[in-house]
Amino acid sequence: MRDTPAPGMAAEPLVRVSALSKRYATQAGEDIHALEDVSIDLVDGEFVAVLGPSGCGKTTLLKILAGIELHDHGEVLFKGKPFNGAQTGTGVVFQTPVLLPWLTVLQNVVLPIRVLGLSLPQGTARARELLELVGLKGFENKYPVELSGGMQQRAAIVRGLIHDPRILLMDEPFGALDALTRERMNVELQRIWLVNKKTVFFITHSVSEAAFLADRVIVMSPRPGTIVDEVKVPFARPRDIDLTSSADFGRLTTHLRHKLGSHESAHD
Amino acid sequence: MWLQIALSLAVGVAAWQSAVSFSDIPSYVLPAPKSVLAALLDGISQSPLVRSSFWFHLFDTLKATVSGFAIGASIGLVLAAFMAEFRVVENAALPYVVGLQSLPKVAIAPLLVIWLGYGSESKVAMAAVLTLFPVLINGLQGFRSSARDRLEMMAALKASRWQTFRHIKLPGALPMIFAGLHIGIVYAMLGTIVSEFTGAQRGMGVIMMQLQTVSDTAGVFAALVLLGFTGYVLISTMRLLQRRLVFWAENGDQTRGI
Repeated sequence: MRDTPAPGMAAEPLVRVSALSKRYATQAGEDIHALEDVSIDLVDGEFVAVLGPSGCGKTTLLKILAGIELHDHGEVLFKGKPFNGAQTGTGVVFQTPVLLPWLTVLQNVVLPIRVLGLSLPQGTARARELLELVGLKGFENKYPVELSGGMQQRAAIVRGLIHDPRILLMDEPFGALDALTRERMNVELQRIWLVNKKTVFFITHSVSEAAFLADRVIVMSPRPGTIVDEVKVPFARPRDIDLTSSADFGRLTTHLRHKLGSHESAHD
Repeated sequence: MWLQIALSLAVGVAAWQSAVSFSDIPSYVLPAPKSVLAALLDGISQSPLVRSSFWFHLFDTLKATVSGFAIGASIGLVLAAFMAEFRVVENAALPYVVGLQSLPKVAIAPLLVIWLGYGSESKVAMAAVLTLFPVLINGLQGFRSSARDRLEMMAALKASRWQTFRHIKLPGALPMIFAGLHIGIVYAMLGTIVSEFTGAQRGMGVIMMQLQTVSDTAGVFAALVLLGFTGYVLISTMRLLQRRLVFWAENGDQTRGI
């Protein structure tokens, strides 16, 4: 892989994860070693994809960063300060849209504004801008049930961005969508990211999705979840979907598949 | 649909009429439909201020039913919310809830008359007690069954316990709460009538006992028809409220067909 300097590489990382470990017991009493000695630096404005098969602890890692779960060992630093629990510097987009059916699209996306006690008029104005950015203009007063799966996930992305977080954590956000919609959403997400310039921590088990979207791909293996490789993605932005059929792209995805080894996802 | 309902009712009344006409069932056992209708018209055409008017009693029954329901439902919901949120409250309340649940609660009607007298207080109390349990049990289940991903979304926003309750648990529990309220409103009327049988000065239960002592079976039937209609109106009102508040639920009308 050609070595291109990542933006702001010399600066202190926005998030530093060092030697993180996590074990938990399932309801059946099985002891799961979810994460072992995981270290990642996230640079401000960077798009990082974590690629791994299911059960490799990548969702656990995201939940620790989101403050939903606690880690056993190691350290998570946010701007050099120890990180404990949830905080307003992160926005999360989950595997499913998790929109509340009793709220309209607009009410759903401003929910973080209300919970965090921020200015609702400003939040509403920002929500309308972001909804337009993701192509949901005119759907503000619809209920989630009236939206397609892709549109619901777009609304969820807006909700993740509404309070202007420094980091957007995304947990396989397009995993539940059909292949065509997923491809379109990848292009969309890149466009949104180029406008917003957030640090994105993107979890996926799709090799091509990781290679298409990320500045850097981190490959994880399961039981215990550890980092097996880290690859910089050299392609210029904005990336076109035709990139995915180029030889360079093919070489990168072949390399990533190789690193995933026998745990390769069947979804590609 | 309405045609079928009308037809079904017509067949039912015709069967009833022929059962009376072609057998020698005495009229104090099964009165003819037309005498029931006559008793009903007589009962509802009198001034509401007269003791022999159905309205005089129905108004009192309705008042006790609605007040008892409101009190019981409120206590049930608040208790359910605190039990769902605080384990201490749950553990403290559990022995009483379990103990009282297995008790046939209408059996405390005589006790309530001793404590609260023959006025409307004992009726309201009986209605409230009967409403409380289905609302409490359903509410508790509703508050508990919040989807995990919704709770995680709120956790990621560092939402307070109250915020999570207000934005996620309470609205999410509404379909279950309404299932409880539907049972509750029916039980509230049941409690009121039983209480009126036990001892009261006014109410549909009182007039039915009076009609029974003079063997006015047609009058008892007429009172039942009126009570059935009142129950229907109460349930319909509840369903209307549910449609407005729980419009979003996939199966918003869980009690359809009751």
